[in-house]
Amino acid sequence: MDPIILAEVTGNLNTVGYGLAAIGPGIGIGIVAGKTVEAMARQPELAGRLQVTMFLGIAFTELLAFIGVALFFLN
Amino acid sequence: MTANKIFRAALIWGGILAVLIGVVGGFIGYTVDGTVGLTSALIGAVVGAAFLSITAGSILFANRYSESEMFVTIFFGVVLGGWLLKFVLFLVLAISLRDQPWINPLILFVSVIAAAVATLIVDAIIVMKGRVAYVAPVEPSESAESAS
Repeated sequence: MDPIILAEVTGNLNTVGYGLAAIGPGIGIGIVAGKTVEAMARQPELAGRLQVTMFLGIAFTELLAFIGVALFFLN
Repeated sequence: MTANKIFRAALIWGGILAVLIGVVGGFIGYTVDGTVGLTSALIGAVVGAAFLSITAGSILFANRYSESEMFVTIFFGVVLGGWLLKFVLFLVLAISLRDQPWINPLILFVSVIAAAVATLIVDAIIVMKGRVAYVAPVEPSESAESAS
């Protein structure tokens, strides 16, 4: 091994990029869905309004993931 | 479900917007990179808008089971399952399209992001303008059943 190279990464770095891009939206969608379950359990009659709010939350969260994955095209 | 009309509006306006972005993006793509640019812009517009519309579509589908006792479970299963499936599909699409000679990656990327952001803006406007009743109205037949 070349003594100058201290750390070497082989393989496709895009895969690591996708992994990183999945962390934030994964946490985000979990919180959005979890909080909606909680709210629907507290007030089932409000399910319609909660769904709309959740829809917006999911849309924003997934846009972040979308851009992260779409960066795969650029290289 | 009272919110269904909002999701339906989001789907319809998302579709209209996808056509608009396809036309504008296709024109720009064609001037930049000829037929390759046109194809990339069209694919990008369709993919970007379709993937954001899957959320509204899955919610609409899941709301068909609103009478079921397992509604909450079915709802989140369908919506989050659809979300996961969408990303797997998008990854497969990205991997298979990336090295094709008839694709311009930059135009495809810009087109996907433009369609996705535009759909999100339309969704946000529809949700803000849409009016959802606080309490789901109960049909007279249902209230008679619950009273008896």
